[in-house]
This record gives sequence, structure tokens and C-alpha cells, in this order.
Amino acid sequence: MSKMNQDTGKLEENIEIHMHEHEQQDSDEHHHDKPVEDDEIKDWQKKLVGAWVFVVPIAFFMFSERIFGIKPVSEIFMTILLLFFGFPVIFIFGWQTIKAGIRGLFTFYFNMDSLIALGTLVAYLTGILSLFSSIQDYSGVSSMIMAFYITGKYVEARARGKASQEIKKLMELGAKKARILRKNREEAEIDVNGIKIGDILVVRPGEKIPTDGIVLKGESSVDESMVTGESLPVDKTKGGNVIGSTINQDGILYIKATKIGKDTFLANIIRLVEEASSEKVPIQVLADKITGIFVPSILILAIITFAAWALFFSSLSKAIAVGVSVLVIACPCALGLATPTALMVGSGMGAKRGILIRKGEAMQTMRKVKYIIFDKTGTITKGKPEVSGIESNVKENYLLEIASSLEKLSEHPIAHAIVEKANIKKYREVKNFKILRGRGIEGKIGKKTVVIGNRNLMAEKKISVDAFEDAIDNFESGGKTTMIVSEDSKAIGVIAVSDALKEDSREAVALLRNSGYETVMITGDNEKTANAIAREVGITSVIANVLPENKARKVQELQQKGFVAFVGDGINDAPALKQSNVGIAMGTGTDIAIESGDIILARGSLTGVVHAINLSKATFRKIKQNLFWAFAYNTIAIPIAVAGILNPVFAEIAMALSSITVVTNANLLRNKKI
Amino acid sequence: MKKAKIEIVGMHCASCASNIERSLKKIAGVKSANVSLLLRKGTAEIDDNVSEEDLKKAVKRAGYNAKSITYE
Repeated sequence: MSKMNQDTGKLEENIEIHMHEHEQQDSDEHHHDKPVEDDEIKDWQKKLVGAWVFVVPIAFFMFSERIFGIKPVSEIFMTILLLFFGFPVIFIFGWQTIKAGIRGLFTFYFNMDSLIALGTLVAYLTGILSLFSSIQDYSGVSSMIMAFYITGKYVEARARGKASQEIKKLMELGAKKARILRKNREEAEIDVNGIKIGDILVVRPGEKIPTDGIVLKGESSVDESMVTGESLPVDKTKGGNVIGSTINQDGILYIKATKIGKDTFLANIIRLVEEASSEKVPIQVLADKITGIFVPSILILAIITFAAWALFFSSLSKAIAVGVSVLVIACPCALGLATPTALMVGSGMGAKRGILIRKGEAMQTMRKVKYIIFDKTGTITKGKPEVSGIESNVKENYLLEIASSLEKLSEHPIAHAIVEKANIKKYREVKNFKILRGRGIEGKIGKKTVVIGNRNLMAEKKISVDAFEDAIDNFESGGKTTMIVSEDSKAIGVIAVSDALKEDSREAVALLRNSGYETVMITGDNEKTANAIAREVGITSVIANVLPENKARKVQELQQKGFVAFVGDGINDAPALKQSNVGIAMGTGTDIAIESGDIILARGSLTGVVHAINLSKATFRKIKQNLFWAFAYNTIAIPIAVAGILNPVFAEIAMALSSITVVTNANLLRNKKI
Repeated sequence: MKKAKIEIVGMHCASCASNIERSLKKIAGVKSANVSLLLRKGTAEIDDNVSEEDLKKAVKRAGYNAKSITYE
């Protein structure tokens, strides 16, 4: 006993050592991976410190003169001091801005820098000119504008970094190392990029699963919360699918790699989140158009303002100050950042909960949705039907034998249920097998023609089901899907299959109905079965007897009455998802490479639909708020600057605050409970 | 038709992004361009005759640098 304890102790120690190694390797890797943004922030930080070292004395000189009326030095000497201290602020710490801005002016690719460069250079120039003429010296103002601009950019860069924190976390989530089991049964640690499909990998407790795979040996529970939002560990046994980057908890797993590199679950999530956050949402079109022509328009406006002040108020100095104010108060950034930052925060929040927004537009459309159509099988129910009742006028074993011999050839979930129930080793030989889509199957066993299917199929084949009418009725009222088995045009029995509801289906439907949505269930089942299930889950409206290929048309029909969201699996329901206004595709938990659906739920739970809707609405509200602030800021601030009521330094502070406000407001979305 | 993903260095404002979009769209064979300031990335739908050099030049022309280009 004590020996065993020692052993486990050692094992734990080993794991711990391994984990430490991993951590170190991790931090090394990160050095290569994400520095762009950190470097940018650091760069702004350096400029910020440098600029303020010189601007603090400048401010001191200026205010001591203005506020206390103390003139420590003569006016000319003062100007020279301001020019001297201002030089490094503009031409060293602000050099990149000046350079890029001037370049923009000459190449006609105007940007933010062009406005700041022009504003500060003109103001600085007044200092030099004032030495030789009566022009007022604004060189102090010039350095202060630059210092505040740099400060604003620094704060904004940090806030922008925060906006993308979830996506960055996802990028860092992937395992770095894997332990591969070589042909000679030896284990070797390799870089995760060296894994090939089919490699056998060993994952010890506490380690990250290196890539997507299938369990060959071992039993364990795996924490998948980081990619699917599922908070409870998921049990994995032989044949189970595992997701790379999730954490193996308690047993050793031997897995075979099935997906690597950019095909993995995690890589797909990252791709989806990135795409969603760089997507254009219709509401932003106007803002984008304005951003595109913003800087040249402001340049023209500044020139007109300057000319007007110079002409009508005949004060060149005042005209310069007002012109500079106009240049530095205008800010395309607030407009340009309003939508993407909110989208980025929203899609990142979603990813954390297993909600992947594929189309940013869905967030805008979601508001108008009135009807939510749920596919039954696999969406409301678990999609794993089990045989729950048999009625037969032959021996049950015989019925199951011929039924499973035929069903074995079908891929349908109901077929699996029947085969599983029969649990036999030797199947009969089947000839002329045919799938009658949405109705059933048929084939020949020996000399007998066997048809298995629903009522419609039996009616079509003119097979009487009178003998089983009561049994069928009973099963269907209980929400069971009933298959009739016939041999040579004579019904010999019925097999009822039921598919349990997912645990949270009822709760989700209730929540959606409380929020005012009309919930609808669509299914291939007949009305009686469908109604029984709908009642159980709390859905009032049912579209039954729908062949898979007709689902999209049913969606279209309902769209005559209002906007429709369709919730279904991403494969069979692809056309319906596409037809609907907002398509919500349910993932299976291991496959995310779904190309249909505007929103994908990584975990197939129905409460995800509620969260997705809440998230969409909250994100869209943020986008609207942000756009409102950005537009309001510019429409109020620019006229104030033109009117000449604002000191250029305050104009610059207002500008910096406007873009910071927008980004910070987007970050506040995280406080919203989804 | 293919999709080019461009990693861009040096963007720091919203008009930077729209400048790069404008510059990319000027290349013959570029169907659409979308630049994200937040992700520091641009995507462009391009014809096969558009070279990597063309894309890099376009980014450069607007005043920024293309760090890497990958295709999908």
C-alpha cells in the first residue's frame, strides 16, 4: 500500500516536472508569437514618457506666465525656450507621426497623422515666425498637442489590446509539445507541428491534448471548457473524439491524431472569431464611407476656416489657432473603431462560451427575428434514438433479425437504434436494397420482400396496418417514432423508437418564449408523434411530415410572416439554415468546420441559442451606442472648433478621449451578463 | 480567384485601414479588400494574376508594410 502511494507520488512529481517544462517552453514560444501589439504599446509608452519629460517644463513656463502673470524671462527668450524644449517632442518622439503624416499629404493617402503633423508643424512654425514678426507664438501648444496625441494613442492601443484579449487567449491555447508513441513502443517528445495524421500520441493526466484525435486506449475525463464552454468534464473512452488544446484530467489516453494544423477544432474557432470580427456589418457602411473621406474633408475644412478667420476677423494669429484646432479635434478613429471593437469583444465573449459568430451581420438581423424554428432530431432531442417498444405478430427475435439486416445498410440514426437493439452477430443477406428517403427502406431477404417505414410508405405500398393501429396510436401519442415492418406486403410488427430530449431543451424553449419569440418545431415525424414531443418541450407550433429536402421551403413560407431563425445541425439542415434570416448551426462538440449557419454553437445545447441571441443583441446595442457617440462627437466638436471657442490643446484632448471612449465602451460589453 | 491574407505592420488609426483598402483595390484583379485595424490583417479576393509583389507594393504605397501574405 505504502509502496503504491510512493509510486503515485513519484508519478505526480514527474507530471509536475513535465508541466513546468511545458510552461517554460510556452513562454519561449510566446516571445515569437504575439509581440507586434506589445511592441506597439511599448513603443507608444517610450514616446509618451519622452514627450512628457519635455512638455512638463513647457507647461510650467506657459502657465506661470498666463496664470500667475510671472514672466521669469523675456518674451523672446521664452519663445526660444519653448522651441528648444518642443523640438524633441515634435521631431524625435513625434517623428514617426510627422513623417507618416507628411508622406500621406504628398501621396494623397491622408491619415490621422496628416492632421496631427500639419497641426503641430504649423503651430511650431508660429514660434519661429514670432521671433521675426508680430505673430503669436503657439509652439508650446504644438508640443502639448503632440504629447496628448501620443498619450491618447498609447491608451487607445492598450484598450484595443484588451478588446482582443479573448482571441489572443485562444491563440495561446494550443499545445506546444506532444508525446508521440513510436513504432518501437518508445515515447518521444516532439513539437506539436511535427505531428502527422495517424500518429499515436500519449496524453498523461494534467496535460494538454496536442491535437484533434480519436481515443485508441484509455479512459479519462477531459476539460473542454476552453473551446466549447462546457463547464463539466467530458468522459472519454475508446473511440471517443478528443479536441486538441483541451486538458486531460485523470487517466492516460492514447490517441490517434485525426486533424492537425489549420484543420483542427481550435484553429477553426480562431479563424471563425477572426473572420467575424473583421466582417463588415451593414450598419457600419456609412461610418466606413465617412472614415474614407474624413481626413481630406477635414483638411479642406481647416483651410476654409483659416481663410475665413483671417479674412473676416483679420487676425492671422487667431486664424492659425482656429485652423489648428479644427485639424486636431477631428477624429476618424472613433468612427472607424466603433463597430470592429464591439464586434471583436462580442465574438470573443461568444467564443469563450462556445458561441461562434460566423457572420457579423447576424447580430444586426437578430433583432428582427420573430420566429425560431427548431429541427427536432439532434437539436431538441439528443439525436440518439433508442428502441423503446415493439409490437409484433411474429417472434420478436425474428422481427428484429430481418429488420436489423436491412437497417444495417442504412446510415439513419433510427437504423442504428434498431441494429443496436437486435444486437445479433449474423445478419441475413439483403438484395435489391433501396433507401426511400424520408419514408423508409426496402430490400429482399431470401425470396421475401421486406419494407420498413412509416405509415405513408405503407399506404404507398398498399400494405394494411390495421392489425397494429392501436399499438401505433399508443406509441405515437407518447412521442415515439414508429416504424412498421412488413414482409411480402403484410405488416408483421412495429418498432417504436424514442429520442430523449436534451436536458436543457425545455428550459431554453421557455426562456425564448418568455422573451417573446414564437417557437416552432420542424420534423419528418408524423403529427401525432411530433405534437407529443412538442408538448413535452413546450413548443406550441409544429410543422410535421416534412421531408428533409423540403425544410428550406417551409422556412421560406414562414418568412412571409416575419424574420425566421433556424436552429439545426450544420449538415442535413444546411439549405434551411441558409434560407433562414439567421441560421444557428449546432455543432456536435468535436466538429466545427461547419460552413453553413451564421452562428455556430460548439456545444449542441439549446440554451446556447438563448445565449447567442442575448449576445447578438448586446453586441449590436454596443455597436449602435459606439456609432452614436462617434457621430455625435464629430458633429458637435468640429463646429465648436470652427467657431474658435476652443483652445487647440483642449481640442486635441477631446479628440484623444473620443476614440478612447469608444474602445472602452466596447470593452464594457464584457460586464453584460449573457 | 483566391483569397490573400496580408499581415500588416504600422497601422494605428481607422483611416490607415481605409487607405490600405483603397490602395489594394487599385490593383487590377483585386475584387475586394477588407482591412482590419484590430487584427492588423487585410484580406483581398484576387485573381490569379495578382502577384505577392503587387499586394506588398500596394500596402507600401499607402505607407505601411506587409509582413507576410498567405493564400486560401
